Amino acid sequence: MTATLHRLDRKLANTPPASAKTKGKPLISLKGVGLTFGSNEVLRDIDVEIGEGEFVCVIGPSGCGKTTLLRILSGLIQASRGTVSYRGKEQREPASDIAIVFQDYANALLPWRTASQNVSLALEAAGMPRAERRDRIAELLSKVGLSKHADKFPSEMSGGMQQRLQIARCLAQNPSVILMDEPFGALDAMTRQKLQDEILSIVSESNVTAFFVTHDLEEAIYLGDRVIALEPNPGRIAELIDVPLARPRNQLTTREEPEFLALRRKLFDFVLRYE
Amino acid sequence: MTSRANLAWLLASLLVTIAVVFFWQWIANTGYVSRVFLPGPDRAFAALMRDYNSGKLFTEMGETVLRMVVGWLVASIVGIALGAAIGISPLARTWIAPTLELIRPLPASAIAPVAIVFLGMTDNMILLLVAFGSVWPMLLTTIHGFSNVHPRLDEVARVMRLNTFERVYKIALPAAMPDILGGLRLGLTIALILAVVGEMITVQGGLGSRILLAARAFRAPDIFAGVIMLGLIGLVTNVALTALERRLLRWQPAPAH
Repeated sequence: MTATLHRLDRKLANTPPASAKTKGKPLISLKGVGLTFGSNEVLRDIDVEIGEGEFVCVIGPSGCGKTTLLRILSGLIQASRGTVSYRGKEQREPASDIAIVFQDYANALLPWRTASQNVSLALEAAGMPRAERRDRIAELLSKVGLSKHADKFPSEMSGGMQQRLQIARCLAQNPSVILMDEPFGALDAMTRQKLQDEILSIVSESNVTAFFVTHDLEEAIYLGDRVIALEPNPGRIAELIDVPLARPRNQLTTREEPEFLALRRKLFDFVLRYE
Repeated sequence: MTSRANLAWLLASLLVTIAVVFFWQWIANTGYVSRVFLPGPDRAFAALMRDYNSGKLFTEMGETVLRMVVGWLVASIVGIALGAAIGISPLARTWIAPTLELIRPLPASAIAPVAIVFLGMTDNMILLLVAFGSVWPMLLTTIHGFSNVHPRLDEVARVMRLNTFERVYKIALPAAMPDILGGLRLGLTIALILAVVGEMITVQGGLGSRILLAARAFRAPDIFAGVIMLGLIGLVTNVALTALERRLLRWQPAPAH
């Protein structure tokens, strides 16, 4: 069934077939990765390579194991089968230069620390001396537009501000890879669009590799170089889709391009199959 | 809430206190209860002033407060340290928790004879009694606080590769702080009770001994003066702890009214 659908999809998107390989040497590579919890098979045969500086988005209906895949990449949980390698080495535990932006920012931030102290946590963990921290914190907070709120506690900040703060804390890890788990899912539409553009400029500035899980199909197309579509029961890669849209992207013009609309149509059809 | 409204509430509660004192005076004046057993506020206050002028009042109060605070501090350190160890380690929880559950329900006053056997009628015996009795709320709230740290924070700690000490000191301890402060407050109340009980048993000075001796001599105003001082100690320590709590938990959003 999937084979026919793939052919159909390709025609629709009018793009060359995407492959699991990336140009050049992969930064992260997954080979035959699977995960089973008791009798429940969550992921099966995940093969994908992610290149340095690439922006990869993951979509799929709920229960397809998107978040689980992100956790395996981070080293927070271990795959039951297959190998996950990061920079050519097997990924067994979290690496200091892989940061995660969690969806539930309210739980991920330390509520007893102010904005600047929250950013400081990552610097303290990296062993940066106190004297150097102050400037770095100011720089990071200004990057996410929170300079004026440095001394506020998370409970005094809006959802968007809290998520910005979490992003600043991740950047403090000086990451090579940022894993994002539906980071903007709980935010209102305007804030979400703003943060999408901010994350794009941060990523392109620092040549970070991004792995972005979302249930918002347009968001996946808007942000990604490539979109991984997962199908559920068990979670498998249904398709890898290249996004041939030019950068820098623009909330109005990019979203009006025919390629964008074609991809959007294709992904909607894909997800609707599982509703 | 505005400060003006706060002031109004404070005045109202003061009025209630004054009303109670007047009621007490009225009861005493009517003579329904013998003057031997129930002095009015006037005589209790006179006893207070007499001891204040002789300097005895603050010596006695100081002794009791010292026992309460030292015993409580020892209990806090032991309770928080042990609670943290048990709270972060599932292994410790399975090994130590059953024993603790066995000891915990023992009434602290039942420990007194045992403590007397080992330490005699001494200051240290009172401290042991105070520490033993007040350690439980600290221990249990710390265990609870530590084992209820949100799993997301655990993941944050792992992603940042914090070591065990940093995880305890930077994540678990502050996360458990609201619980621990509740335990400290409960423990302090128990510490005051047991300091007085210990003083009554050993008669080693302090407000407990004073009340006991006054009762034996039928000096009712002295008993009431002692009780008033105990009430004041309770009030002041509670206000101090509330201030500490406000300071340590200022990150918490204000509760909705």
